[in-house]
Order: sequence, then structure tokens, then C-alpha cells
Amino acid sequence: MAILDNDGNRILAKYYDKNVFPTSKEQKTFEKNLFSKTHRANAEIIMLDGLTCVYRSNVDLFFYVMGSSHENEVCIITRHCQVFQILSWNINLLGLFQLILMSVLNCLYDSVSSILRKNVEKRAVLDSLDIVMLAMDEICDGGIILDADATSVVQRVALRTDDIPLGEQTVAQVLQSAKEQLKWSLLK
Amino acid sequence: MITFKRDKKEEEDGGGNPFQNLEKTTVLQEARTFNNTPVNPRKCAHILTKILYLLNQGEQLGTTEATEAFFAMTKLFQSRDVILRRLVYLGIKELSSLAEDVIIVTSSLTKDMTGKEDLYRAAAIRALCTITDSSMLAAIERYMKQAIIDRSPAVSSAALVSSLHLTSVSSDVARRWANEAQEALNCDNVMVQYHALGVLYQARKADKHAVIKLVAKLMRTSPKSPYAACMLIRMAYKLLDEVDEGEELIGFIESCLRHKSEMVVYEAAHALVNLGRSGAREIGPAISVLQLFCGSPKPALRFAAVRTLNKVAMSHPAAVTACNLDLENLITDSNRSIATLAITTLLKTGAESSVDR
Repeated sequence: MAILDNDGNRILAKYYDKNVFPTSKEQKTFEKNLFSKTHRANAEIIMLDGLTCVYRSNVDLFFYVMGSSHENEVCIITRHCQVFQILSWNINLLGLFQLILMSVLNCLYDSVSSILRKNVEKRAVLDSLDIVMLAMDEICDGGIILDADATSVVQRVALRTDDIPLGEQTVAQVLQSAKEQLKWSLLK
Repeated sequence: MITFKRDKKEEEDGGGNPFQNLEKTTVLQEARTFNNTPVNPRKCAHILTKILYLLNQGEQLGTTEATEAFFAMTKLFQSRDVILRRLVYLGIKELSSLAEDVIIVTSSLTKDMTGKEDLYRAAAIRALCTITDSSMLAAIERYMKQAIIDRSPAVSSAALVSSLHLTSVSSDVARRWANEAQEALNCDNVMVQYHALGVLYQARKADKHAVIKLVAKLMRTSPKSPYAACMLIRMAYKLLDEVDEGEELIGFIESCLRHKSEMVVYEAAHALVNLGRSGAREIGPAISVLQLFCGSPKPALRFAAVRTLNKVAMSHPAAVTACNLDLENLITDSNRSIATLAITTLLKTGAESSVDR
């Protein structure tokens, strides 16, 4: 999973398989390469270096989710089970994960979007970097999808609602935060 | 009004990245404030974010540096601030492989994982399992079993996924916790179901008959979770390689072609066309599904379909001919990968009659 800015620089990136791009230099080379191939065409999906990458962009941000694209090869287990180890674990079968990758990408994008209150741009991500990090952590745990539902991911990261002065929140936001608080107090 | 303010703020900051020019040594210096009491949650969270950001950017920390930062971070357990606590869990996971004596936080994490706050519990379980080694495993086993069958999906999923990771520490973890996983399988939550199936498979994968029994049982009830269904299809596909008579398994995969989730439909079609034993008749329905996907407005679906068809065209070119018209439409697709795959597929299936078009 990676979020890059409009120069192809890394904002956040997480690699789950130490065998694919083991050093941060290799990772960054891959990211530059990925960015140069994707920043103009908004084609949603691309194959690069044996990985299937699905992506989405908004204003000055690019969201990527990558996974193995090797099918029916033993090397799935040893090398390329990046995002979805759980499926390929010794099941050594077909490794086509695009559709699941897509649901992870949508979840990442929608979570970030709702954390930033629809204001999906670099500045906003950096302002809430801590929460975005927590969200990425909630979506994928060591290569296994933990949750692919944006609403529940956002609930799990416990938004900081007191960040914006009350006057600047919309009525809906105030209601939402009140609802959240009530829910958590009930769950306790 | 809000946008105006934002613009002004951006001007003041020069629109720059507040994290851009961070120095590792300065940030680690700042981390000393973690030792101050009382803890200032906002300030400490910001410093911790900086550390995590540096690690994420690929900055290397030496063992001493990492250990120092780790121990400073453990002081933050005094604070009850939710965000800060969650960042500490994240920090534990990131630093656990770099720092020494990380087991020092075991008791704090065990306390959080058995506490009342669901938000803490799930994250604490995951952090705890990253620092667990084989000697500690027995100590947390009881809590883990309880967590697997917890009524909170977040807690249950966290425990199941963690036990999958723990198989690298001790290979029989999944088997010892299989009973709990079996119970979690009945959960309504789609993710819990998926993770539970993962653990069950991990527990039984060495025993072919146990896997057959597991698959046979689940085929009858057909899991609600699309993720679990995809996994079940893969398990069935694998079994078909090993068993002689597999009518029932093939029947199950075929029935998945009518599932309401595209993900499952694709997985089933993909499995059917890749079965070595199937002839043109068996793959017919799967090909029609893929043909439908070729006309989908979603690029990912078109890509998946044409990629699979491309592969089938090698073994069963005749079966793919039916899709030639759809493939011709894809030649001009705005996504270059899709267009290229469509062209190479047509080259394998094309006949003289289609050359003119």
C-alpha cells in the first residue's frame, strides 16, 4: 500500500513482504517507476515488475495497492505473496487478486476521505498523518486484509473530533461526533 | 470562508510539508520529552508521528537508538489519550524488530487486551503478538483463545490474524486454537468469517482428509462472506488436483458463478478455466461470465477478464472464439494493459474471417 504525492514522493508506504523490494532504495525506485507509469493515465490498473497495482488519484495524491500477479506458480509462496498471503499460503494456487486489491484500494481511499472530511489532498493528509497511519494499520495487518469496510475502519481509528472549533463544523459533523461518542460510551 | 482561511494558512506555511526536513537525531532528542510527567498527549503524539514518519520513509535506526526510543515510548502508557495509545501500539510494532528487550511491554499490553475498551483491545492484541516469542506463547494462550471468540468483530479478527502470524513462532498454534476458530466461523461478520477460515485451513492443511471434511461442510452452507467464499473456491480448486472424484467440488465452484459478489464470480470462473481436467463443455459457463466482464465499466474487471481469457486461449482457443467481438472492442481501451492483452488474445484465437474487421 502506498500514498504518493504529485511529484511521486512517498507520503506513506507499507511493504508487507520482505522478499519483494527488501531495501528502501529498491522500494523508492519502484515507487518512482510506478508513478511515472501512472500519473498521467487514470487507468485504474497496471502491471509492473510482476505485480498488479490498482490505483486512484485525487488533486495531488496518488493511492496504490499492490499485489502478486503470478498465477499458478510455486513462486507465489516464496516471493510474491505480498498483500494477500492468507490466500496463497501453501494453497499454491492461482494468484489473481485484482478484485480483492480493488476492494482494499476503495477502502483505503474512502477511509482517508472520510478522515479528512472529503478534503483529500496532500496538506490535509500531512495534517492528520497520525490518523491516516492508524487507518492503514487497521486495513492490513502484516499482509492480511484486516478490514475492507471504510466505515468500520474509520470507527476503529477513533477520529479526533475536537480538532476543529465547533463553529467550523457542519451540523452533520457535530451530530456524527455526538453519535460516535454516545456509541462508544454505550459499548463500554 | 473555510477555504479562504485554508489558503491563507497555506501561504503562511509556504504550502510545504511540515515533515519534510526532519532530522533523525533531533526527533530522537525530542522523544526524551516522553519521560516528562504528566504526559502532554498532543505534543507526544506529534513527536511519535514524526518518528513513525521517519521509519516509514526508510530511515535506519541503530539498535541503541531504537531501544532508547522504545523505552521512552513505554512511558506513554501512563496517558489515557486514545490516539496517543494507538500510536504507541503502532510504534511498538514498528520498533519491535529493531529494539532490544521489547518484551518489557508485555504486561502493559496484556492489561490493555483484557481491558474494557474494545478500541484498545484489538490493537493491543496485534501489538502483543508481534513481540511474542515461543517462550511467552503459553502465557498469553488463554487470553488469545478468549479473544478469538469475543463478541467484538475487531477483537476476534485481530486475534485470528495474529494467530496466523504466530505460526512462524510456533507451528502448531493454529491447531491448538482450532476449536475457537471453528466457533468464530459462525460469526456474522464477513471479515471474522474469512480470518477464521484462514486459521482453520492453516490448522488442517497437513491432513488432506481434514481439509476435505472442512470444505465439504462449508460447501453446503456456502459462506456469506465473499472473502471466505473466494478462499473456499481456492481450497476446492487445490483439492481437485489431489482427489480423483470431484463432481461435488466442481458443482460447488460452478454454483459460485451465480454469487452476488463479482469477486466470487470471477474467482470461480478463474478456477474453472484453469482446471487441467476440464474440457470445452465445462468451461463454457465460465467463459460466458468472463465475456460479460469484458463489457464492464470497471477497468479492473475488464483487466481481470481479458487476462484470464488470454491464458485460456493457449489451451482452448476454440472456447475463447465466442468472445472475439468483445475482445475487438477492448483493442481501443483507454487502459493500455487491457488493450495489449486483448490484441494478443485475438492473435491466438483469430481466424481469417476476422482479419478484415
